[in-house]
Amino acid sequence: MERIDAAAARDHIEMVDRILAESHQRLCSGGEHFVVWGIGSAYVPVIFALVNVGIAPSAALWSVPIVLAACAVFSILRSRLTRSMLQRSSLVQREFFNVLWLTLGLAFVVNVAVYRIFSGAAAAAIWSVAEAIVLLYIGMHGNRRAQIGGVLIVVSLIVANFAPPAVVPYVLSCGMLVGYAGFGASELLARD
Amino acid sequence: MDELLLSKVRLGVVAELLGFDWVAFSELVRALNVSNGNLGAHVSKLVEAGYVDEEKSFVNRRPLTRYRLTKRGREAFATHVSQLQSLLQGVT
Repeated sequence: MERIDAAAARDHIEMVDRILAESHQRLCSGGEHFVVWGIGSAYVPVIFALVNVGIAPSAALWSVPIVLAACAVFSILRSRLTRSMLQRSSLVQREFFNVLWLTLGLAFVVNVAVYRIFSGAAAAAIWSVAEAIVLLYIGMHGNRRAQIGGVLIVVSLIVANFAPPAVVPYVLSCGMLVGYAGFGASELLARD
Repeated sequence: MDELLLSKVRLGVVAELLGFDWVAFSELVRALNVSNGNLGAHVSKLVEAGYVDEEKSFVNRRPLTRYRLTKRGREAFATHVSQLQSLLQGVT
C-alpha cells in the first residue's frame, strides 16, 4: 500500500487549490453575445418609437428583422467557432448557455409570432424580462456584474411602468443597453 | 487514503475535471504539463476504476477524446482531499 508524507500531502493540496482557482477564472460567459443582443434588442423598441412619432420613415421597420437576423447569425457562427476552439466546457457555462438560448428564443418567438398579444411596449418588456432572467441566473453563480446588470434591467422595467407612454421604449432600451450589452462589454474587458 | 489518487497526475486530472462538463485530452496535457503517454496511462487507470468517463469522437475530421468526472470519481476526490487535509492538520 502506498503512503504519503506531510510534505507530499501539502504539495498535492496546493496543486488542487491552484487548479480549482484557475478553473474558476476559465468560466467564460461569452460577453460578445450579450453585447450584440443587448444592442439588437434595444434597437427594436427605439426604431418602432421613432417611426410612431414620424422621425423615421415606416420603411425603417424593415431593418428590425434584418438586425435580429444578423444577431442570430452572429451568435450561431460565433458559438460554432467557439465550440471548435474550446478544449473544455464548464458545467456552469453549459447551464447558463441553455438558459440564455431558451429565454432569448422564447422572447424572439413572442416578438415575431405573438405580437398581437404583446403589442407595443409589451414586446420590448418581454425582451427585458428575458434578459433579466439570463443575467440574474448568471448572477446566482457569483457573477457580481451580472447581478448588477440584471437589477438595472429590472429597474428599467419598473421606471418604464411609471413613465409617460412616449418615453417607455427609450427607458426599456436604456435598460437593455446598460444592463445587457453593458454586462457583455464588462465581461469582454475582464477576459482581456 | 485512495491509492489511485495518491498519484499527483491522477489527482490533478480529477481536480481539472471537477468544475467542467468535459475536458479534452489535449487540454489535460497542457494544463498538467505532462506527456501524452504519461497522461494516457494515468487516465486509463481512472477510467478503469470508474472515476472518469471517456468519450471518443471526431470534430472536423479530427479525433477528439474527452473526459468527464463520474459521481464515483467526485466522491472519491472529496474523501481523498478531506483525508489529506486531516493529515496536514495532524502534523501542524
